[in-house]
Amino acid sequence: MTTDDPKERSAGPSQVEVSTTDPELRIGVFPCKCGKNIGAVVDIDDVAEYAKTLPGVAHVQVNVYTCADPGQREIQQAIAEHGLNRVVVASCSPTMHEDTFRKTVKAAGLNPYLCIMANIREHVSWVHQHNPEEATQKAKDLVAMAVAKAATLQPQPELDVPVTQAALVVGAGVAGMQASLDLAEAGFKVHLIEKQPTIGGIMAILDKVFPQNDCSICILGPKMVDVAKHPNINLITMAEVESVSGYVGNFEVRVKQRARYVDIDACTSCGDCVEVCPVDVPSRTDQSLTWQKAIQIPFPQAVPSSYFVDPDACLGMDLIRCGKCIDRCEQEAIVPSDQDKYIDLDAGVIILATGFKPAEPSKIPRLGWGRYPNVITSLEFERLINAAGPTGGSLVRPSDLTKPKSVAIAQCVGSRDINTRSGCSNFCCAESVKCALLIKEHYPDTEVSIFYQDLRMHGKYFEDQYQKAREEGIKFIRGRVGEIQQYPKTKSLRVSVEDTTHNKLLLEDFEMVILSMGAEGVSGNFPIPISCTSDSFYIESHPKLRPVDTSSAGVFICGGAESPKDIRDSVIQASAAAGRAGIILQKGRYPIEALSAKIKQDLCSRCGTCVSRCPYGAISQDGTGKFTVMGALCQACGTCAGDCPKDAIYMPNFTTEQIEAQIKIALQEDPGNKIVAFACAFCSYRGSDLAGVSRMQHPTNARIIRSMCSGRYSTKFAQKAFELGAGAVLYSGCHLPSDCHFQTGNHWMAKREPRIRAWMKRNNIEDERFRIEWVTAGEGKKWQNIMTEMAEVVKTPRQQIVPSVSKKPIDEKSKRPSKAKTDTRPKTKPKAKSKTKSRDTKKSASKRKVTKKK
Amino acid sequence: MLVKGRSQKRSDDMADDIQKSKLDALKKTARPCFQCGICTSSCPVFRVAPELNPRVSVDSIITKGEVPREGNEWLCAYCLMCDQRCPMGVSLAEILMEIKNISAREGKAPPDVIESAESLMADGCLSPISSRSDKKRTELGLPDLPKADPADVQKLFKATGAFEVLEINKAAQQEEAAE
Repeated sequence: MTTDDPKERSAGPSQVEVSTTDPELRIGVFPCKCGKNIGAVVDIDDVAEYAKTLPGVAHVQVNVYTCADPGQREIQQAIAEHGLNRVVVASCSPTMHEDTFRKTVKAAGLNPYLCIMANIREHVSWVHQHNPEEATQKAKDLVAMAVAKAATLQPQPELDVPVTQAALVVGAGVAGMQASLDLAEAGFKVHLIEKQPTIGGIMAILDKVFPQNDCSICILGPKMVDVAKHPNINLITMAEVESVSGYVGNFEVRVKQRARYVDIDACTSCGDCVEVCPVDVPSRTDQSLTWQKAIQIPFPQAVPSSYFVDPDACLGMDLIRCGKCIDRCEQEAIVPSDQDKYIDLDAGVIILATGFKPAEPSKIPRLGWGRYPNVITSLEFERLINAAGPTGGSLVRPSDLTKPKSVAIAQCVGSRDINTRSGCSNFCCAESVKCALLIKEHYPDTEVSIFYQDLRMHGKYFEDQYQKAREEGIKFIRGRVGEIQQYPKTKSLRVSVEDTTHNKLLLEDFEMVILSMGAEGVSGNFPIPISCTSDSFYIESHPKLRPVDTSSAGVFICGGAESPKDIRDSVIQASAAAGRAGIILQKGRYPIEALSAKIKQDLCSRCGTCVSRCPYGAISQDGTGKFTVMGALCQACGTCAGDCPKDAIYMPNFTTEQIEAQIKIALQEDPGNKIVAFACAFCSYRGSDLAGVSRMQHPTNARIIRSMCSGRYSTKFAQKAFELGAGAVLYSGCHLPSDCHFQTGNHWMAKREPRIRAWMKRNNIEDERFRIEWVTAGEGKKWQNIMTEMAEVVKTPRQQIVPSVSKKPIDEKSKRPSKAKTDTRPKTKPKAKSKTKSRDTKKSASKRKVTKKK
Repeated sequence: MLVKGRSQKRSDDMADDIQKSKLDALKKTARPCFQCGICTSSCPVFRVAPELNPRVSVDSIITKGEVPREGNEWLCAYCLMCDQRCPMGVSLAEILMEIKNISAREGKAPPDVIESAESLMADGCLSPISSRSDKKRTELGLPDLPKADPADVQKLFKATGAFEVLEINKAAQQEEAAE
């Protein structure tokens, strides 16, 4: 931190840290109407008038769209004209635009960390649409809370870290391959990790791909070879990521590679071993329609082009138990001593392309898959019609191997159903039209009917394919299949479906039924916690504008891991992710949040609690017993500060003073009716935002205080809130056990619960007034429910308003503020040579360091 | 809007309000339906009596905003297959039941249902205990079945409001006969 003459502030954006300890506090408040999004509910002018009365506020300006260019320019002009040194933008969620406005103030010469936001859109206007008065009051409170916090903000230095010039791509389906190739071509080293023995993913086992119906492996095969041959790609198959540590630019990755028992370099894939292997296992590639041996290659074009041994099926690779393949292999490529091994890698960025898995047909018993042999899934159909498949490309009924004369295709199986997955699979319409066309191509006499609900042929060229299908005489019937029954003798099937355009029941007989399967998400078990939707697909940073970024810096998503999608979309997204990742790699250095913890040595009692709290090992003790925080390792979760018994850890932008000031303002009026809700920035705050975005209406009682992580909520905050008469307090964080963005913050927060409850009991505060809830970014509905339930709780007045409460160790300071309130002027803090502003009336927080130049 | 005409006699505003709030609740329950037809193709009654089409009943609530007039919902056997299979979790059997409730309050219950209700009120049961089964029970040494007490059933009819609904329907029937 440097100190300079304020005059030099306007010198230019390069001098960002100039305005540091400007003695006079000049806060600019910018309430935003956001068109009608806020303005239609909240009386913004009233909020602005109110803001003018707040201590330290020097300038208030209302905008229709503050985030638009003119709005941002006005902020910059106001900073110059009025000499503002703190900026509060009262508009949308900070998750949305905090970055935008930080950049704005930075361009005007202010340190970016001196700008904060009051969320009056997601938390007010969108969720209290029918209650404008209370919404306006809440907006005022939120603005006052932000102003109180702004008053104590300190400029923070902007830091950056070096970036390792390598990328980790997880999953080598078509998306992972594309992302790897793009990055490798751009000159970066890529570590490509694939769980299966071959790359290629689902696309490699498809026969033809829509909409042009070109051969899948013919277009994918060359790409697979490119991946294998590229000098910049380090391909690791049969491997999974075991652990990831570090941060953007400096990820340390440990990969576990399973034993292959075959030397990739020595194996010529001649196939001699297969001839002698005595063990049959169901073929994974062929969807268990046929058999493979224990030593196998997934398909002829597999990359790496090498066999592998399935250790669960193999009898034993020694001459006593079996060992036939070793005997037979002339290349001596089989290595019985092969073992699982760990590989450590460094990467600057991570791209997750872990894909999806086809929906599980056995979950829908009414359609009879598994019981009736002639009901097959779309993937099984792909293998049957594939020339390399178990039947050499002829479509036959599994029951008697005859050619079916009539085929029904049932759509939306495993999709658009709240019992399996409520979303659309995005590809199954085009997929079933393709299947129908393939059948017609091979067997023009076969009757094909497609039972659809809404035929979503939305993609480029899709409509042509649909038209072609109609010309080929394929029947399209609107109605979802209710149930399928089998004729026991012929094994033919009776499909029961309502033709909804004609309101009549169809009971039609078919010789074969293909279920057009949707997708199931498999995301979420990656060692870095990335938020997932309830159906296990990764959540993007912004659904429109940052579709391949995640909430973790340096981690990108693409392909089926993000949402079910077809090949073209996967490739597009993969290239996008590679482009975004390339930006970080190419710059070489990455700016990090400057909010790392600092230890106030004069307060520290050297107990060492913080060391055990830090999930990153960022706190260490030197020879003299002094604890220090290593800035580059610290991720600013604040778990250490949450448990520090002496309150000796300074968390920039989330200091105890700031949070307590917010609590105080939140409870200045009618505290018994208020809910003080703490939300962590990565999960629960985003969950509350989602409730806003989804317009999930709930009562206006809550005053939400954001922090980086739930680990930051010390027991003191709940005590403080209750002492000030709060009706209820909510601590919310990411789901236990493993969703926490900072690994363990939520665990440490949960451990504080008994202490808080015990304190509440001693002070006769009912148990239901304090809640700990786990809310992910996808659980807006849950947030709404919690808010509604807690609003019921605060309807009953508190039995006892606290002041007379017995003092317990952690809340020693609780009474002090009220004493200090009347005579704040004395220089309690040496730095603040100041006195309170005259406007600093009873209402406003006394503990705030509201300062004014003499 | 609710049907006028027969129910005009009931100028009771409160009852109208109840009907309206019931219809509103019904509309809300029906809204998630996306008309896929799984319910209908699973319905055992639809196979023999295609007048009953749960999807169409729900559709008329969604699109017309009113309870269907035809009275086909009275055919529902309440097997809950549609509930079980609905991909949107719409409780179809409940919707059909509620349609019956609303139309009964408007005096539109079918005559056979009114008849059964009347005989239930008069006798306390729908199928009287036959002398044959009585004899059989004595032979087997089983205790006598309790006799249904019409007074009890009438109490229930009064308490649940079924009595009032029955009256409305009887009046409507007479009116129709008079026309």
